[in-house]
Amino acid sequence: MIVCVAVVGHQNNPLYIQSFTDADDALKLHHIVHCSLDVVDERVNNPKKSGPTLNETFLGLLYPTENYKVYGYLTNTKVKFILVTTDLDVRDADVRNFFRRFHAAYVDAVSNPFHVPGKKITSRTFADRVSTIVQSFGLSSSV
Amino acid sequence: MGRDVSESCIDSLLTEMVSTYCNRFYANKPELAARRTEAIGYQVGHQLSERYTMERPCFSDHLEAIKFICKDFWFELFKKQIDNLKTNHRGTFVLQDNRFRWLTRMSIDQSPENGTSEELSIMADNKTMQSMHLYFPCGIIRGALSNLGIPCAVSADISNLPACSFVIRIKA
Repeated sequence: MIVCVAVVGHQNNPLYIQSFTDADDALKLHHIVHCSLDVVDERVNNPKKSGPTLNETFLGLLYPTENYKVYGYLTNTKVKFILVTTDLDVRDADVRNFFRRFHAAYVDAVSNPFHVPGKKITSRTFADRVSTIVQSFGLSSSV
Repeated sequence: MGRDVSESCIDSLLTEMVSTYCNRFYANKPELAARRTEAIGYQVGHQLSERYTMERPCFSDHLEAIKFICKDFWFELFKKQIDNLKTNHRGTFVLQDNRFRWLTRMSIDQSPENGTSEELSIMADNKTMQSMHLYFPCGIIRGALSNLGIPCAVSADISNLPACSFVIRIKA
């Protein structure tokens, strides 16, 4: 189950953070997202030249904490998407699929002429699309 | 979420935009009109580069990004690629388009060898008006590149219509 998604700009400024749990641990989730930014920077600055992952957008599992797994995705414009999930068995393909749809929703939200680049995304359409994608992520991985 | 818009609508919109900014909003301040249209182009380029870099892996260096602008980005915007790319390998790139789509409807003045001073000043005015139309595409290129992390300055040169070249100077 996805507990939190976040969009972080290229200066590590938060553009969109949304948690999907009923519990009051929003602060803890924000903290996890914040820490994962360091891991993203590390991955970007020291690319593992051994594998074919030199210029990949999908960064994969960033780091597992005691209850959560954190996945990262970096766009060409240095915008980072962070996904925090509590699922124990998450397929790579599902996460990639999720990020692809999330990226499409993000591009549409940013193409809004009333959106100021660098400021938070306030579009309700974007929020609705994100919750739809989050719902369907849970369904597809339970098959 | 792409929808189609007729090309004549875009042409009319761009022509009207330049004309409004030059003749109504900043009637006697062509530098301000130029800056405003360039700023509009900057935001458009910013947003377009988000959309068109979606499925691609990251660019390894400036040249890759410029090649993206010349090929994929230009193709999405104008249905053709840049015809010629020159660089001095020190941060200056010249992109030449031999038939710039937004200038195809613009009339080409024949320069008279020995025109009267009136005719020459009219020629100069025409040149200024023509160059006004190029601030928007310059802004688009600058917006796209700065969204890819490459701050730069872009200027255009229309010494021989309908060919048009854009000079990109990357700020070190």
